[in-house]
Amino acid sequence: MSEMDFGNQIHSLAKQMNYPRTPDVAGRVMSRIVSERGPRFLSKRWAWSLTIIIVLFFSLMLIPPARAAILEFIQIGIVRIFPRSTETPIDIPKTATPQSLVPVTATPYLESSTLLVDLTRLAGETTLDDAQGRVTYSILSPTYPPGLGEPDHVFVQDADGAMTILVWLDPNDSQKVLMSLHIVPEGSWAIHKAEPVSIQETQVNGWRAVWAEGPYPLRYSNGDLDFTRLVDGYVLIWTEGDITYRLETDSPMEEAIKIAESLQPIP
Amino acid sequence: MDEPTLIRRAASGDAAAWEPLVLAHQQAVFRLAYLFLGDADDAEDIAQETFLRAWNHLKRFDETRSFRPWLLSIAANLSRNRRRSAGRYVSALMRAFREQPKETPLDEKSAQNTEANELWRAVQQLDLPDQQIVYLRYFLDLPVSETAEALQIAEGTVKSRLSRALEKLRRIIHQDFAVLADMHEGRDV
Repeated sequence: MSEMDFGNQIHSLAKQMNYPRTPDVAGRVMSRIVSERGPRFLSKRWAWSLTIIIVLFFSLMLIPPARAAILEFIQIGIVRIFPRSTETPIDIPKTATPQSLVPVTATPYLESSTLLVDLTRLAGETTLDDAQGRVTYSILSPTYPPGLGEPDHVFVQDADGAMTILVWLDPNDSQKVLMSLHIVPEGSWAIHKAEPVSIQETQVNGWRAVWAEGPYPLRYSNGDLDFTRLVDGYVLIWTEGDITYRLETDSPMEEAIKIAESLQPIP
Repeated sequence: MDEPTLIRRAASGDAAAWEPLVLAHQQAVFRLAYLFLGDADDAEDIAQETFLRAWNHLKRFDETRSFRPWLLSIAANLSRNRRRSAGRYVSALMRAFREQPKETPLDEKSAQNTEANELWRAVQQLDLPDQQIVYLRYFLDLPVSETAEALQIAEGTVKSRLSRALEKLRRIIHQDFAVLADMHEGRDV
């Protein structure tokens, strides 16, 4: 049987598929939209609650440590990093000053082993070719160190924008992730990175970058906690245009920057 | 009111314009989710989530694109993520406690449905990208152009990927699906 005949047979049979009755999706969606919008005018109870919250907020802003905790974070691309609060104010450099070390705390926030994720739990595994077909941006892959080759695993995940994750395994230990690269387009969920051990600002190809030492949880702005941390080491985050890159590695910063600066479109 | 007008009004916050759009596309979205997940409750959750996500991101919808493929691409992504999420295992556990449906005798039509179900089982053995293209093109009967838009690939790529998926499917049917083997050998179904 020719391929066309076989395709026609499959098409014909697939159209006979019996589905469950389609539920009243529209009714439920509309009631959820209406309930999420809430009343047009605030009730007295809500108005009072809002007033109390505003007063509390401005009261807190008058206390220097609280103000520091509220205001001080580093935003790079879609990633927002909240340093661990300390008793002494932290001077986080706002300009791209290479090599400026900002120690935040010497105590890890959580045990690193509790944050590393099993690759089999990551959704959206696919091939490099397929991933490139599904995302609208060009997938870049490191050409350094020499002989690195293609990633061992590729994932494309829906984060209100297709996020690509490339993973390289340790050639001497296939259970260990050597390096991972998240490529996140603009418009995706913001990623909140809470309380890394240290933060350092640097540059990748002249673009502002942040070098952070874990462990720390990642939190998406939609409220989900997601332990997509794959390497027990460091993270280099930088943006180029609309894309945010996040490189996890156990290599030192200088090496990580070389890797980051070696990114090239996949063949 | 035509679809582009409804989309523009919904994008400006008019919820009343959103309802007819949901009604028009809920069946295709629900069915695609059902094909991926194999459970009507899960598929309904995904269908609702699809339309809520689309509603929340409607301002970013490119009006030069077709609406149905955009919705189906959201539904496919959500379904694929759900397949590996913890919630899926909870749902499966709950289903295990439900009463088993009573068996009914097969008539001719249901025999055809059995073959269609066998085909679905065979397709489930393909990897997810191949499943997705087969579901869109053959099960939901989307034209090649809309399949390409849903996958954000060129029409020529749809054809080449379908061809590869069919070749894999042919091998799977030949090895594991005796009910469908006649079709594979070229006899009428």
